[in-house]
Amino acid sequence: MNGPAEDLTVRDARAKEAMMEGFIGYVLLAGVAVSAVLVIVGLAWHWVRTGHLGADYTIPRMNLFEFIVADVRQVVSGPFRPRLLISLGIAALMLTPYVRVLASMIFFALVERNWKYSLFTGFVLAVLTYSLFLR
Amino acid sequence: MAFEWLFLISIAAGFVGAMSGMGGGVVLIPALTLLGMNIKQAIAISIVSVIATSSGSASAYVRDRITNLKVGMFLEIFTILGAIAGAAITLASGQSVLFIAFGAVLLGSWLALFLQRKEQWRPVARQDAVSRWLELEGAYYDQPAGKTIVYRGARAYVGGPLMFGAGLIAGLLGIGAGALKVLIHDLVMGLPPKVSTTTSNLIIGVTALAGTSVYLAAGMIDPGLVAPVMLGILLGAYLGTKLLVRLSNMAVRQIFLVVLLVLGIEMLVRGVRGAL
Repeated sequence: MNGPAEDLTVRDARAKEAMMEGFIGYVLLAGVAVSAVLVIVGLAWHWVRTGHLGADYTIPRMNLFEFIVADVRQVVSGPFRPRLLISLGIAALMLTPYVRVLASMIFFALVERNWKYSLFTGFVLAVLTYSLFLR
Repeated sequence: MAFEWLFLISIAAGFVGAMSGMGGGVVLIPALTLLGMNIKQAIAISIVSVIATSSGSASAYVRDRITNLKVGMFLEIFTILGAIAGAAITLASGQSVLFIAFGAVLLGSWLALFLQRKEQWRPVARQDAVSRWLELEGAYYDQPAGKTIVYRGARAYVGGPLMFGAGLIAGLLGIGAGALKVLIHDLVMGLPPKVSTTTSNLIIGVTALAGTSVYLAAGMIDPGLVAPVMLGILLGAYLGTKLLVRLSNMAVRQIFLVVLLVLGIEMLVRGVRGAL
């Protein structure tokens, strides 16, 4: 039923899909791992410094991008403190699904050239971006 | 609340969550409120750790090529809108309303699990035009069966709007609402069980992020509390999945049914008492 040419297209599509799935899998894994390591190191450092396990601090009302900007500003200017590592860990965790959706959209648009799913993924990305800028 | 307690409770919640497939929040939130934490605070902390557990397990499933990315992407359109609405409702509502809602969802999940029959998955015979247009189909290699299983999804026009409801509950109560998502995939869209659970895992991460950003903007994400809870739940979930292989499914389900029932009634009673 399938000619050799058709077989090749099917195989090509499968290979592209496998590539995308592998990439997305590693994005998720890396995001969680980076976040966990940052939080663990932050807590351990805090413990060594103060003798307390719990880092007791809150963050004021701000959205993720303000949160990240504040963190980066601290990295650049101020003394490097344990709580900054914990904040960066939480920011990394929140960025993980976001980057996953971004990677899916790039893949659907540029590699698969699937306009339907580029549009769907673009919508999800737009809503997430909006929510991250919420005030 | 003491760091050590938060960490230990989170390990237990992650452990039970992974073994039952329900996620840690269902156990974590009642436990935190029992220790005197405000329920809104508990919900906000829980939903951050949901991102961690779902992303962690989704990464393995995606690489195993069981997750259906297209089904996931399409349904995320609905769940993120639901999650933002749900989180906004939580910020505006009183504590006792949340206790009652949480209790009701727990009892609902209990009923769904209790009534669930061991039915074999049957492939979708005829795919509707909408689902075909959405390219909801796929194939995965089934290890125990030793063959590739080809499937098609159906009734996306019902499944999508229902997922708004699942997202709403996730954002409202700070849980993954995985059981609800799996139910929609299984019963409405006719996906094979393995594809349902793994795809639901992928969706949960994005849904939880949408909810988290609402709580973050409201100043309710407290890193001092999030840090031990997130690490504890990750560790507990890891241990839970390791043990899951050894325990029989029946035993896990029996234990979990009792836990759900007790927690559900307890939350309902506290909500009603608070409202009176």
